[in-house]
Amino acid sequence: MPVLLEMRGIAKQFGEIQALGGVDLVVNEGEIHALVGENGAGKTTLMNILYGLYHPDAGTIRFRGKDVRITGPRDAIALGIGMIHQHFMLVPPLTVAENVVLGEERMGPRLSTRAIEGRVRELEEKFKIVVEPSARIEDIPLGLQQRVEILKVLYRGSELLIFDEPTAVLTPQEVDELFTIVRELRSEGKTLILITHKLREVLAVTDHITVLRAGMNAAELVTKDTNAREIAQAMVGRELHDIRPREATGTSLPILQISRLEALSDRGTKALRGVDLVVHEGEILGVAGVGGNGQSELAQCILGLRPVTEGTITVGAADIAHDDPKRTRERGVAYVPEDRRVEGLVLPFTVADNFILGKQDRPPYARRGVLQRETIAKEGDRLAKEFDVRPPNARVIVGTLSGGNQQKVVLGREISESPRLIVISQPTRGLDIGSTEYVHERLLEQRARGCGILLISSELDEIRALSDRIAVMFEGRIVATLDAKEATEERLGLLMAGQKETVA
Amino acid sequence: MPVISVLVALFIGAIFVLISGHNPIRAYAALILGAFGSPYDISETLVIAVPLTLAGLSVAVAFRTGLFNIGAQGQLLVGALAAGWTGSQFPDLPGIVLLPLTLISGVLGGAGYGAIAGWLKATRGVNEVITTIMQNYIVVFVMHWLLQDGPMTAPNAAGTPASSPIGAGAILPVIIPNELVPLSRLHAGIVLAVLAVILFWFLLWRTSLGYELRAVGLGALAAAQAGIDPKRRMVLVMAIAGGFAGLAGMIQVSGLFHRVFDGFSAGFGFDAIAVALLGKNSPIGITLAAILFAAFARGGTLMQANAGISSHLVEVIEALVLFVIAAETIVRAIAGRRGPAQALA
Amino acid sequence: MNIEVLIGAGVLAATLRLATPIALAALGGVVTERSGVTNIALEGCMLMGAFFAIFAADKTGSLPVAILVGLIAGVALAGLHALASITFRADQIVSGMALNILALGLTSYLDYELYGTTGTPASLPGVPTVDLGFLSAIPVLGGAFGHQSSILWVTFLLVIVLELFLFRTVPGLRLRAVGEHPRAAETVGIDVRRTRYWAVLASGALAALGGVYLSMAVAGSFTDGMTNGKGFIGLAAMIFGRWKPVGALIASLIFGYGDALSVSLQGVSIADVRIPVQLLSTIPYVLTILAVAGFVGRSRAPAADGLPYESEGH
Repeated sequence: MPVLLEMRGIAKQFGEIQALGGVDLVVNEGEIHALVGENGAGKTTLMNILYGLYHPDAGTIRFRGKDVRITGPRDAIALGIGMIHQHFMLVPPLTVAENVVLGEERMGPRLSTRAIEGRVRELEEKFKIVVEPSARIEDIPLGLQQRVEILKVLYRGSELLIFDEPTAVLTPQEVDELFTIVRELRSEGKTLILITHKLREVLAVTDHITVLRAGMNAAELVTKDTNAREIAQAMVGRELHDIRPREATGTSLPILQISRLEALSDRGTKALRGVDLVVHEGEILGVAGVGGNGQSELAQCILGLRPVTEGTITVGAADIAHDDPKRTRERGVAYVPEDRRVEGLVLPFTVADNFILGKQDRPPYARRGVLQRETIAKEGDRLAKEFDVRPPNARVIVGTLSGGNQQKVVLGREISESPRLIVISQPTRGLDIGSTEYVHERLLEQRARGCGILLISSELDEIRALSDRIAVMFEGRIVATLDAKEATEERLGLLMAGQKETVA
Repeated sequence: MPVISVLVALFIGAIFVLISGHNPIRAYAALILGAFGSPYDISETLVIAVPLTLAGLSVAVAFRTGLFNIGAQGQLLVGALAAGWTGSQFPDLPGIVLLPLTLISGVLGGAGYGAIAGWLKATRGVNEVITTIMQNYIVVFVMHWLLQDGPMTAPNAAGTPASSPIGAGAILPVIIPNELVPLSRLHAGIVLAVLAVILFWFLLWRTSLGYELRAVGLGALAAAQAGIDPKRRMVLVMAIAGGFAGLAGMIQVSGLFHRVFDGFSAGFGFDAIAVALLGKNSPIGITLAAILFAAFARGGTLMQANAGISSHLVEVIEALVLFVIAAETIVRAIAGRRGPAQALA
Repeated sequence: MNIEVLIGAGVLAATLRLATPIALAALGGVVTERSGVTNIALEGCMLMGAFFAIFAADKTGSLPVAILVGLIAGVALAGLHALASITFRADQIVSGMALNILALGLTSYLDYELYGTTGTPASLPGVPTVDLGFLSAIPVLGGAFGHQSSILWVTFLLVIVLELFLFRTVPGLRLRAVGEHPRAAETVGIDVRRTRYWAVLASGALAALGGVYLSMAVAGSFTDGMTNGKGFIGLAAMIFGRWKPVGALIASLIFGYGDALSVSLQGVSIADVRIPVQLLSTIPYVLTILAVAGFVGRSRAPAADGLPYESEGH
């Protein structure tokens, strides 16, 4: 098969972050190609560049043997490249047919509903995709909405279709239906690129695999010649870091028990499909997994920021599943959210004011509704020193601090009240080495103190360095919980990619 | 930056004056003289600045929580009506009782009216901009009815429909003695306004409630995960905002006109928005901005009388100030959308 | 009280007259909000149209020129709003309010400068009325429709045109897409900014036409602030009419009727109790609040309404 697409040496930087450091991708015509990697590996960035939503800092793209420059989606579409986004680009009150033809109506100015519905029906027949053209997007389920996205690109004569995490919002049956559609498309001569981190999909329908890791190429594989282990290894493999030596401090007393937890995502899909986990006093339970498998929703449910549809969450003896954040925190639950700038801090406030966020209505910070400014300032300075915030001046506006120091403020606030349970999500994202070390030290300190810690992180290094036990999250469930010693990278990689472990 | 907005607006205003064949220097000189030229002028400027400051506080306290209170005008009128009614219903009560009573009814009237908008937003998600704009109009018509042939119509009122005058006990006395500034109208309301400014500052920066309001306005998500529920505060904030505006209305009745009439204190509400934005929602800023706009209003009237240039020029300048501020707001907002409260932190 | 004051030809004729400027503002609102821009400066655009039409009529004596100038004035103000809201992504409420005050101040200022205390000139070209004499045979309705300004009929036409435009044409489809999900529209290559600019400018013209009607067809002159909130009622009618042209027209008629009633019921009593006509005037506003609160049917603005749009970075 001839080569359809050649991307060579693609580099892209966002601010200080090098998203892609010179990546190659070669796709043959008529094949289904998997682009695989963890969060932050660069897969979506690479495809956004191909589709013209971003411009690369370096590198070349050859399509059908010719060098091309893609400055925007229109260029990509003109070449015959179509993208099925992870977050659908559909206009809810318009119909299926209207969404398919939008921007490329090929008629006008009069809009003939009959004509456009007719065209859509033709497409549907040709590619064996079924969805009612006159239905409104807001009335049909996500699985069917995805078909509209597919029809959109087919309508525009796409020869190369890019699917960005296509099964993220599908039920298992819908996934199988999608596979059928995908195979049909291939038999019609289309070329497909599937961005995914789920091995099941990769092994089920693809021909070739390109694995990215931390913005670089990690492996190029032929699907029928490889296996899950190899792929997972490429996705995740890096030098083993020593697990920190430490005392076992865990007791057998559970501080957090989650049972059969279910909840919906913002889009209305089931984000949590029956989560079971336990965190004991004095232990760190790491939740590993590729982002988007329900981790954010899990943290939010515990804190009371997201409604729980099924199941229980108990802290100590109390069921907090339906408590609001204030009540949950009164039980001794601390929270370090994954986006500290937006969820953890009020950026225009001072450091001192951020230290009292959540405690602004009780002594010693307030008496009968009046803030005790001196106390707040003194405590602020004390905490800033204790938690190594630089500069140790609580009058500074927190928005001006570096990421590491901001995180120390959040940490200081949450830890200073001696919580029983800490829910901490992506704690060292975007932090320098020094701050990362500092955060890890404090967490271990809390663990030694008897606090239970639920550590959610996509950084396997971090999970393995800190956790006593590791739970792997995939598609809204905990698929396995391992003792740290048994959690080899290989095992974790496989679990994170959805492979069930066979009982030996 | 607010200073720049004003200067830019004055500059463009000068161009207008030139185009219409007048001398901008003369125009602005007349403006300044009219506002500050004599002790009497200063007193008149302050008479306008007092309710305007309160209305500005009304808008600002809502902005701080991320809410848009366009209804200061309506809340002011409700406060005025309530105060006017109370003051005239019990004309024989002594000042010690009647004045506080009148004050409380004015504040509660405005607060209640504001609370409606807050409640609708908290419970049904209704945009407070729409609600408050509608409320402004509703109260104007209700006021027409009340004063033209309704329960508050003054008997034998000639000319503008008005209410019965309030009792002597409800009057805020003029505080500048006649010997100092003859005919001065500057009344004790200025004291109330100063107290209100201090209260505004204290509320927002020295109380837990104020902290929560500002946190919601500047970092709603962080506030939520810390246990601060935005919805719970909405009604309270709008009530407080309405209370400030209601106080402004009460002051106009008690200190200035001693009754309510059709077309009472028109336009304060919109000016209040400009005052709040120009003053960056801060106590000193609002006070200064209110004095500035009051100077415009007072000076404008005299500019028309003495220099023959339409006082409406002042409105043009005010609008330009507001427009420049609007444009400046986004220069501040770095990424994505930020509400007025965020960009003016 | 006889039935005439409620549904007589006089009241109905007044209803149509009063509804026209409201409907034009409402149509303007529909167009801009459907594209995702909140334009509360419609009141100002209306005022600009009212003044500058009179001004141009005075200076040129030509009706077509007068109307054109009025429309351009409205478009110019709307253009400022578009610049602030779309290009600078300023807060659309603040920008709208500022422009309203600007229009009020500017028109009043120019009115004073040009026409001082004598007022606008008396003998200006009038807007032709459409005499449907043959309708006079029909009771009530004949009287209502028989003798109305041509602008009223233009308004009816515009309602139909806009309804068809929005829901039966390709540009209309794209406009609605931009207002509901601008990112989706952009990914299929639609120019969000340009669409929104057109919509805002068009709304300025529509509102200005309402102003032209008020000054040229109804009053024959200009007085400061003569729009008196009609632009805002128009926005209320838009909301109550669920952001659809036909709905906005119906809402405008209802609001116009309330207005007309408040005049025709003046001094009328039922069983010795005088009807508080002023309270009737509050009906449009109360209805609007009820509508947005969801108490009266489902009322949902276009999803991206009022939110500044940022193209994805490169």
